[in-house]
Amino acid sequence: MVDHSIAGSSGLMARKAAGDRSARARLAIVLLAILLAAVALFSLTAGASDASAFDALRDWFSSSDAESVLSARDRIIIYDIRLPRVVLGALIGAALAVSGAVMQGLFRNPLADPGIVGVSAGAGLGAVSVIVLGGTALAPFTTLLGSMALPLAAFIGGLVTTLILYQVATRQGRTSVATMLLAGIALSALAMALTGVLIYMADDRQLRDLTFWQLGSLAGATWTKIGTAGPIMLIALVAMPFFARGLNALSLGEATAGHLGIQVQKLKYVAIAGVSAAVGASVAVSGGIGFVGIVVPHLLRLTIGPDNRYLLPASALLGATLLILADTVSRAIVAPAELPIGIITATVGGPFFLWILLRKRGVIDL
Amino acid sequence: MIEAHDVSVKLAGKRIVSGIDFEAHPGEIAAIVGPNGSGKTTFLKALSGDLGYDGSVVINGREVSGMRPVEAAGMRAVLPQATSLAFPFTVQEIVRLGLIGGRSGVLAGENERLPERALAKVDLDGFAGRFYQELSGGEQQRVQLARVLCQVWAPVLDGRPRYLFLDEPVSSLDVKHQLIIMDIARDFAKRGGGVVTILHDLNLTAMYADRIFVMHRGSLAAAGTPAAVLSDSLIEKVFDCRMRVGVLPTGDVPFVLPQSVAL
Repeated sequence: MVDHSIAGSSGLMARKAAGDRSARARLAIVLLAILLAAVALFSLTAGASDASAFDALRDWFSSSDAESVLSARDRIIIYDIRLPRVVLGALIGAALAVSGAVMQGLFRNPLADPGIVGVSAGAGLGAVSVIVLGGTALAPFTTLLGSMALPLAAFIGGLVTTLILYQVATRQGRTSVATMLLAGIALSALAMALTGVLIYMADDRQLRDLTFWQLGSLAGATWTKIGTAGPIMLIALVAMPFFARGLNALSLGEATAGHLGIQVQKLKYVAIAGVSAAVGASVAVSGGIGFVGIVVPHLLRLTIGPDNRYLLPASALLGATLLILADTVSRAIVAPAELPIGIITATVGGPFFLWILLRKRGVIDL
Repeated sequence: MIEAHDVSVKLAGKRIVSGIDFEAHPGEIAAIVGPNGSGKTTFLKALSGDLGYDGSVVINGREVSGMRPVEAAGMRAVLPQATSLAFPFTVQEIVRLGLIGGRSGVLAGENERLPERALAKVDLDGFAGRFYQELSGGEQQRVQLARVLCQVWAPVLDGRPRYLFLDEPVSSLDVKHQLIIMDIARDFAKRGGGVVTILHDLNLTAMYADRIFVMHRGSLAAAGTPAAVLSDSLIEKVFDCRMRVGVLPTGDVPFVLPQSVAL
């Protein structure tokens, strides 16, 4: 469903040259930002408490506590329970979507996604190691790093997986899609097997934590968690736009990117570190939330094109929006209980991924 | 100028190119010819800095292996034999990638118009809004050339000549566009730049090249002007074919007419 109208587009973009989608992309980014704000506000006020969006906004902007329009109970629900969830959801959604877009640029393939090629599984292994062995074998590591131990271990797990994947799948600057996916499957299986060993070793209390964590959930969102994992994701998110141009050049191949003046090796290492940090941090706090990284960039490429200068920020905004929305659904669908968010994203993302494969049949040689 | 001395390249332990001496001067087109597998592309990759090499390759006084990518990008632009594209870019977006290094050599305000002008040069007026992957092979090759032209739009920058490295730039083009592309190369050279190009068509080479380097099994078989280099005996030895080399009545440009595979 590629848009063929670009060549003749005039009017709004009359000053722009044909085939230049930057004006459209900028407009899309503004609209996505507005959408994110609206969905965040909706999510803050949707649920068992009956405080309206209007009340919440008035409360936010009112100057003193005395004239507060919200009850004390509603204030706690909104500021200490829902707001951290929304913030964490936005951070994780943005981190996963941008990581997906960067990996796809790096591997020069729209099917690359941290969840599919095993990076999330590797990060998961790191996180589970800390949960299960934190009191015993890894005790020095956890005492030294405190609350940072979990996200850092997830980061290391993700980084090691990505590096192995890249080494295996890339020969002389060309990444073989088949090798990448197969290596990803092997690495996932290995990481999951090792995770399985750790789960086998876990006690009952650790098991309950692990099960919920593995399904992916924002239910445990607190300001403390945001304080530990948030900065890692933020740094990665802020850094990624700086290699948008390099990723654009890379879509012509590594050799050509080099001819254009891009330091390809450096770009690859920084991008891999950034993706591992962002994915590791998000896996550490919310477990495996799949498919955001593949669905979001793909949808956006169809509308604003593959230019990473616009694709990366737009992915961050849409990823954040979708994850907040998925979390709101996960809270509402079986209320007062809630469904792990990973189940929602996989239920929607799985069929979507199949649809991509169907559309690309014959275009991508696997 | 470009001076290469005693250049050898090994790939996976196998010596592909050995002991090549080569030079390319501003104002000239230097053509590299030779049969398939003779090491032409490998040698061009050494000149481009893509492959490690023994010996020396110096462009404008700087050793290629010691240059940072951005520095090399200011001195030469490279048109590869084929380019595969990962995502659905428009022609405009592809050509604009040539401006990434920021050394086109025109005033900042004019960069905006360069893709359009480059596309007009390669006879692709009106193609800017098309999707690259929907074009024919020959059209894609011309889009890539337009991108390459944007990178070194001014053939001379800060008093230094710049170079076009073209790997079989006309291999998938019809005759008219072969001439258009070779005229672009000649024009680039006339305005003070240099061109290094791999060609298969010996007649086109004879028409346009100022110097020919004939490669054979990784080594240099001959080098010099077309008139000096193209002879029946050399061609039979290098290409394993009988060809008749003549001279057009209009001047001193030789032509080459294939006769048969050598017996």
